[in-house]
Amino acid sequence: MKLDLSNPAWQQTLPPGRPVAADAPTAACAFSKDGSTVAFALGDGRVRLLPADINAAETPAAEPLHGGAVLALVGDPAGDGFVSGGDDGRLLRIAADGTASEIADQKGKWFEHIAAHRATGAVAASAGKSAFVVKGGEVKEFGPHQSTVAGLDFSKDGSRIACAHYGGVTVWSIGQVTLPPRRFAWRGSHVALKWSTDGKFVATGTQENDIHVWRMAQATDMRMQGYPAKVKSLSWTADARFLYTSAQPVFTAWPFSGKGPEGKPPLQFGEEGAGLISVVAAHPAAEFVAGGYDSGELQLGDIKTRRSVVLKMADGSAVTCLAWSPDGYRLAVGNDAGTLLVLDLRR
Amino acid sequence: MAQPQIPVTVLTGYLGAGKTTLLNRILSEQHGKKYAVIVNEFGELGIDNDLVVNADEEVFEMNNGCICCTVRGDLIRIIEGLMKRKDKFDGILVETTGLADPGPVAQTFFTDDEVKARTRLDAIVTVVDAKHFLGQLEQGDEAEEQVAFADVILLNKTDLVSEDELKKVEGKIGSINRYARIFRTQKSQIELAAILDKGAFDLKRILEFEPDFLHHGHDHDHEEEVKSLSLTADRPVDPDRFQKWMGALLQLRGPDIFRSKGILAVDGAPRRYVYQGVHMMMDSDWGTPWKDGEKRSSKLVFIGRNLDGENLQRGFNDCLK
Repeated sequence: MKLDLSNPAWQQTLPPGRPVAADAPTAACAFSKDGSTVAFALGDGRVRLLPADINAAETPAAEPLHGGAVLALVGDPAGDGFVSGGDDGRLLRIAADGTASEIADQKGKWFEHIAAHRATGAVAASAGKSAFVVKGGEVKEFGPHQSTVAGLDFSKDGSRIACAHYGGVTVWSIGQVTLPPRRFAWRGSHVALKWSTDGKFVATGTQENDIHVWRMAQATDMRMQGYPAKVKSLSWTADARFLYTSAQPVFTAWPFSGKGPEGKPPLQFGEEGAGLISVVAAHPAAEFVAGGYDSGELQLGDIKTRRSVVLKMADGSAVTCLAWSPDGYRLAVGNDAGTLLVLDLRR
Repeated sequence: MAQPQIPVTVLTGYLGAGKTTLLNRILSEQHGKKYAVIVNEFGELGIDNDLVVNADEEVFEMNNGCICCTVRGDLIRIIEGLMKRKDKFDGILVETTGLADPGPVAQTFFTDDEVKARTRLDAIVTVVDAKHFLGQLEQGDEAEEQVAFADVILLNKTDLVSEDELKKVEGKIGSINRYARIFRTQKSQIELAAILDKGAFDLKRILEFEPDFLHHGHDHDHEEEVKSLSLTADRPVDPDRFQKWMGALLQLRGPDIFRSKGILAVDGAPRRYVYQGVHMMMDSDWGTPWKDGEKRSSKLVFIGRNLDGENLQRGFNDCLK
């Protein structure tokens, strides 16, 4: 992995990329498991597929797959396509050629959150107060929770899922439906959730502008306050040493190695954006991070050297999603105005 | 990029008052506008429409220790979700269940920054069943609170009662909330333009309108009864003293004060200072400028329980220059 931000080329020219105008807000983006295709979830019901290779011929836009907005999207861990959820209450499996088949229909609800587990090929998706785990041809329901699920994620080994809702987090064992779920309580509304890449911690963002982290083994918890806005985007580094959080003007990473972040300030680096970071994505392998701003900028950072470069998106609309390719060389970016961008970061 | 704020109308009313009829009309009539309708009972409307969104009235208590700071987290989520659609809306309607307290819905629009940036609370519209309202008042606090919160009231089913009975109901409504605009309707028939996107929440009416309610129906003047009152002043307001007084008042009496609104002539300021509150939460801003030679007077309105007008006026007087 070579992504040397000290290379002067970063300051002189933008990295090569493919911009596409989709003319609808983008809710999510993802690379396929094999890394060949990138997909964007759009507010007009379309899932826009593009080749990850920015020099390959552009795939034409397809017809809408969902009735309303596409709200969630992941690379299909059991294939080379994608899984999408929409406000039409449908969960779809999209093949690499763009053809779709329905996995679930929860009419009247929205499929808002989807997580994928690569090693087991399982997908977890939430609609209303329930989460659904899709594995092989089977769909299992977990819930209902006390309120609508506002974030969910798999444990490291894929054997459990954690769901965020009012009052905290519920952890279910996927294979053991008869086992009662474990509950981790903290008052208020939890609006985002990420399980740490080493499986030891579950972090949530709350309605009241703070983040909450539970140690799974001891069931102890910690709370980090002082954000000026809700933390809707959380991203653990590949080695689980840091948790990146949105809602700050610079990269903000809580250290989780050693004794953890208690009593320590977060690590902050990078240039200040005009606004706040709206979405943050740690690199899948190396010590890099990408941050998108609600003011439209994109920033790449290296936590080791604390170097960073700011790339401007054309229209200044809030960045709504980021995804790294599995090999870590490409970055997909989407924004509120429907500008889609695939960047090739090798230089 | 600044986006226009979408007006939100909150629709309340006791069970069977006629909310569903009104919503069906809004969804089916040709009015050239596009409204997203957030309902609490999917399927209750006869219309299957992708503009109808199901909500579960998921209320949570803010972590600030205040029992009246309850918020509809589901609404925050749904409004954020609606903003992800390509098609934009002329307005959003939020229906509450017949027994719901309108407080959490209204407070949602004071709480969340993203919701505040994309939407504005335009009006709370309460549908009142002319035939059953007086009876509903005996059955609990809900019917009374729904009227107390209202900016606009549809006095519905007027065909089922006599003119005398109507007057009695209107008198009772007036004794609870004399600042709401009342429309008499049958089968929820009303020009939608009269109730949607009216800026009723923006307080314009407050200054222009001081209803002189003919008779307060059967006003027992029970302390616990919900009523509305206004305070006025012709001397300019000291902003610091006002903030302090109002802050302390809402802190202490928030649970009892359903709505508070005001337009203030602040000492030395060229513009009106406008504010509105729901329970303990409040929002303020600078409004339109005073015209040359215009009389600069201030007015506050409170709607709530256990209101002591004299005491409030004394407190307000202490905030004047």
